[in-house]
Amino acid sequence: MSVLEVNHVTKTFGHNTNEVTVLTDVNFTAAAGEVSLVIGPSGSGKSTFLTIAGGIQTPTDGDVVVQGNGLAQLSGKARDALRLNHIGFILQAYNLVPYLTVKDQFALVDRVKSKGNLSATDLRHLLEKLGISQLINQYPAELSGGQTQRVAIARALYQNPDIILADEPTAALDSERVKVVGQLLHDLAKEHNKAIVVVTHDLRLKEFADKTYAIMDGKMTVA
Amino acid sequence: MFLALKEIRHEKLRYGLIIGMIVLVSYLVFVLSGLAYGLAQQNTQAISSWNASKVVLNSDANDSLSQSLITKQTADKVKLTTHEAYIGQAGVVAKAKGQAKLSAQFLGINQSQFIYKRVKVTAGHKPTTNHQIMVDDSFKDNGYRLGDKVTLNSTDTQYKIVGFTHNAKLSVAPVIYGTLGTWRTLSHVTSDFQASGIITNRDSFKTKTSGLSTLTMSKFINKLPGYSAQNTTFTFMIGFLMIIAMVVIAVFLYILTMQKLPNYAVLRAQGIPAKVLVTTTVSQALILVVGGLAIGAALTLATVLALPAGVPMSFNVPLLAGVTGGILLTGVIGALIPVKVILNVDPVSVMGG
Ligand SMILES: Nc1ncnc2c1ncn2[C@@H]1O[C@H](COP(=O)(O)OP(=O)(O)OP(=O)(O)O)[C@@H](O)[C@H]1O
Ligand SMILES: [Mg+2]
Repeated sequence: MSVLEVNHVTKTFGHNTNEVTVLTDVNFTAAAGEVSLVIGPSGSGKSTFLTIAGGIQTPTDGDVVVQGNGLAQLSGKARDALRLNHIGFILQAYNLVPYLTVKDQFALVDRVKSKGNLSATDLRHLLEKLGISQLINQYPAELSGGQTQRVAIARALYQNPDIILADEPTAALDSERVKVVGQLLHDLAKEHNKAIVVVTHDLRLKEFADKTYAIMDGKMTVA
Repeated sequence: MFLALKEIRHEKLRYGLIIGMIVLVSYLVFVLSGLAYGLAQQNTQAISSWNASKVVLNSDANDSLSQSLITKQTADKVKLTTHEAYIGQAGVVAKAKGQAKLSAQFLGINQSQFIYKRVKVTAGHKPTTNHQIMVDDSFKDNGYRLGDKVTLNSTDTQYKIVGFTHNAKLSVAPVIYGTLGTWRTLSHVTSDFQASGIITNRDSFKTKTSGLSTLTMSKFINKLPGYSAQNTTFTFMIGFLMIIAMVVIAVFLYILTMQKLPNYAVLRAQGIPAKVLVTTTVSQALILVVGGLAIGAALTLATVLALPAGVPMSFNVPLLAGVTGGILLTGVIGALIPVKVILNVDPVSVMGG
């Protein structure tokens, strides 16, 4: 069953002579229980695609439907609620709150979303699997790039979202960790019926994907 | 609250500096308004202590007690009740052997009338004869003691300090209470004159006697020499100070909020509702401003305790509440000016490539 549909989405930035079209008539669906991988080179429009799919940006043309809700029809508040309760973002720029320790990044989620988060035990297992349990009292500035990336993954998964949108989640990781993260996302799809979309130029993730797409100059094709 | 406190704890230096600035600004406003109010009070303390409502003066006295003289003949036409009292004012220089000269306001009062009864004694007793006086406590601070013999102006007559009274100031000078007889001597007038004026504590008091005019206390106080000029100056000074203080605090909190926008964008991307960010911003502004005001108030209190008794400083609740409320309000407004920006903060702005 498709929980995320991107229909005929076009995105242009700028006006007149400065106008650039970043996405052209992109069609895409993601289903629960599947890992979809979107592979493309730098500047091909991956992040733009993912943020539009998750309702952070609005498309110039076309529409996005999440679990049956057309995003354009939702109020800002409803979009926030949808994102908080059903969509987990793993952002390219990590995006942890700089003044919260790793532990508090999770505590913050508890404050704004009281139900449906991982249990303490599940969180502990997740942190162990990602190899970051010993970092819980550290601030983001005290983490390495790869550690930050893994914390960002854990933070997004902690919300236990139905849809996980990951932007280059393995860019700063070594092959060993790539396998761990790839397997983790794969297991989440299979065992917990999540819909997982990963955009990346990291071909090492291919073996964990159910479907692979290619994006090139803003055009998406099934690979 | 969670985010607000966590951030303050993590960025101790930055928030410490902002609280420090609010402390200094509120300290400045508190101390200056305390000094201005203290000075204003010294113009009128004695008058306030009588709880009077009107003053009757000679109609040619230009509303000034020190310029007014009421003859016995005129005074007799005014029917006095227990709510009225004669008062004779004379500016004097007091001197005792071995003590510094003090400029003071001599007030002659009648033992059987209400002012005499209302004046509070802090040591000794009230004067009962022409050669006895009761003086303001500030005489004590200048070394004068009970039983000291004091000369007033350049006459040789000696007056004995038989009592002290608290907070008796008129036109920023300490008050000396004595008899109306002594007032006549000091003013060089004969017993044809009854007093400088008549004070009443009845709102309904009226007299039609020609040659007399009746003033309300507030009008009388405003006509005290220098009083309204002084008050206008201080009101403007404190007003400007308040406005500048409020603008400075508002600008600081505005900048603070603007600097947080990248973090807010992160939180927005995570789906944290805009409402949480707004409450975080407001509660943080409140924590900073309340903290700063509290420390500023504590410093002010310490200053009051450390200042010598001669420095006039006093506070009144409405003034303090106004100052405090004004600073609080502008702090929150400053933090909230960018609220539209907070609500519209673009999560994409921080996501990078
Ligand atoms: N807000 C914007 N305004 C103008 N151009 C933009 C904006 N955001 C993205 N672009 C352009 O859109 C194109 C695609 O950007 P996008 O971030 O989607 O690429 P990407 O595939 O994620 O690249 P990378 O692999 O480097 O992260 C780029 O050429 C970028 O310069
Ligand atoms: Mg990107």
